[in-house]
Amino acid sequence: MSVKINIPSYMKSSTDGNKVVEVNGSTVGECLNHLVKQFPRIKKQLFSKEGNLFENITISINGESAYPEQLAKPVKDDDELKIVLLIGGG
Amino acid sequence: MLTTNELKRYDRQIIIKGFGKEGQEKLKRARVVIAGSGGLGSPSSIYLAAAGVGTIRIVDHGSVELSNLNRQVLYWDEDIGRKKVVSAIGKLKRLNPEIEIEAMEETITEANVSRLVAGFDLVVDAMDNLPTRYLLNKAAIDSNIPFFHGAVYGFEGRAITIIPGKTACLECVYHGAIIPQEKFPVIGVAPAVIGCLQATEVIKYIVGIGELLTDRLLIYDGLTLKFTELKVKKDPNCKHCGHTGG
Repeated sequence: MSVKINIPSYMKSSTDGNKVVEVNGSTVGECLNHLVKQFPRIKKQLFSKEGNLFENITISINGESAYPEQLAKPVKDDDELKIVLLIGGG
Repeated sequence: MLTTNELKRYDRQIIIKGFGKEGQEKLKRARVVIAGSGGLGSPSSIYLAAAGVGTIRIVDHGSVELSNLNRQVLYWDEDIGRKKVVSAIGKLKRLNPEIEIEAMEETITEANVSRLVAGFDLVVDAMDNLPTRYLLNKAAIDSNIPFFHGAVYGFEGRAITIIPGKTACLECVYHGAIIPQEKFPVIGVAPAVIGCLQATEVIKYIVGIGELLTDRLLIYDGLTLKFTELKVKKDPNCKHCGHTGG
């Protein structure tokens, strides 16, 4: 499956400035793994040392939250994923 | 009933289609709590005071520091060292002497949060940390008070409006996520944008005009100047709002 991942501005330095990265995978988890394979530096911004997606990151599939069990959510060709950081500053 | 002075002061918004004197009277009767008087609380309180919200309660325990002044526009250099709520009330009363503004110089805790929002119609979430936001979210849901969330980081911002029992709440969106408490980066224009969006939502809700930012988290990226949305759903198993209808 060919899927696009929209990279937030604050992570673009980890994807060589790319705002959108094309990945392959049949689940959100597989797509993120392919993203990390292409741009290893982004791994520490997405995953804990234990390999879990950080709890303040939500993935959207075509604009809808993939929560819960985000990494297991299936994706299909031409889906658009977006990495959304949940923030708390004020 | 609006006074002659009020009719003049609010003339430009009264003439908005669908707003009218009736909308202005609703604003005059409204009682709004603004939780936090920093980067988000500054613009939201300024614009809600300017719009004529009849009673505004500001809750904050902090004092003005030099490092606040890049974004907390209620405070000026001369205010450094003063209690934020005292300084805020002084400014807002000078902006609009025709409304009631009260200060609660308290740290919001599980023990006092219900008391701080009791008797008010709406709560603006202008806090700077997630744990207190969750306390406010739960208190607002338990008290059936609409809750207007905003948050910022760097050039980014988020906002969502929560109607208890009807729409997704903050817990439905954040799932209790905790971000390590640290000095977060922020440029003043980010909370300016988000605080004004929160005030916009508050005014729309009170007046009963437009379409609210419910069940969608607004994602603002100032670096690309793009607004996108994350669609969210009310979680029937949510520990804050799962027991409510909708």
